[in-house]
Amino acid sequence: MQRLTKLFRTVFLVDLIKGLLVTLKYTPQPAFTFQYPAERRPVAPRFRGVLRLQVEPETGAQTCIVCDQCAKVCPDELILLGGHREPGHKIKILDYFDFNLSRCSFCGLCAEVCPTKPVKALIMSEDYELGTYERQKQILRVDEMYDGVEIEQYTR
Amino acid sequence: MGLIDHRFEDNFITTNLDKVLNWARQSSLWPMGFGLACCAIEMMATSASRFDIARFGAEVFRASPRQADLMIVAGTVTKKMAPVLRRLYDQMPEPKWVISMGSCSNAGGPFPTYSVLQGVDKVVPVDVYVSGCPPRPEALLYGLMRLQDKIRKESTVLRKERVIMVGQSEPILVEDRG
Repeated sequence: MQRLTKLFRTVFLVDLIKGLLVTLKYTPQPAFTFQYPAERRPVAPRFRGVLRLQVEPETGAQTCIVCDQCAKVCPDELILLGGHREPGHKIKILDYFDFNLSRCSFCGLCAEVCPTKPVKALIMSEDYELGTYERQKQILRVDEMYDGVEIEQYTR
Repeated sequence: MGLIDHRFEDNFITTNLDKVLNWARQSSLWPMGFGLACCAIEMMATSASRFDIARFGAEVFRASPRQADLMIVAGTVTKKMAPVLRRLYDQMPEPKWVISMGSCSNAGGPFPTYSVLQGVDKVVPVDVYVSGCPPRPEALLYGLMRLQDKIRKESTVLRKERVIMVGQSEPILVEDRG
């Protein structure tokens, strides 16, 4: 009996039809592919993209207090910042903020340790399109670090 | 080097031929699957149906370097792997390009140790560095499109020098700038 069933399955291609039915079930569905350069997927709320400096949203004043905590906590020592005091200003003025992107492992410790309130000076942003032709360009200087600085987007 | 590569002066026929050849090259980049670490998972995700690297003509991941145009170095390159990587690069036929994917192959990542190569550009010339740890599939596609931009500007039959950068020094953060 078992041999007969096997013969039946072989002759009438039952397994093949079963497989094709699965294919047929998925055929009318719209394409699953996500057209990347045209549409952009929103990132997850806790996504960690490239490091960014934030300013006060209303006034545009500097929020970073040059406390050097992020540079100290970085496990690979990728951040280097410095500032100077000026009479009339309560906080130090940020002179330079260099961030070596090429080695960064996006752990987010620097943004976590940043003490400024209510606006965090240092955040992990949502920018992920990071591609350069040269290695030297992977050091981000202070003017490239501010939030909202456009990353060079792909245009055909 | 082929029969017609970099042999002709600048004129109407050669510039148009250049455009055609570059179009053909940029839209059929066959990558070599060179997955070394966790970045390879993102590379696989890029080639799967959600992101579909086939939209850029780069879906045919070749197992052999002799059939590949593009080497995507995805992951940590150890010093033991470096000679193998160079040999595979040498076995690829011209024209060939390299994408360095992720922090580890860009600069050694979080492993400044004796066993890890500090940047894949120490052994092979890299065209595009994609940052991320690991980069999202979109970031790899972005790097691929940047490479296509680069190929479009290359000279194929025109007589031009091609500058190949090997062993770029690591960018160093300089303290004390007054």
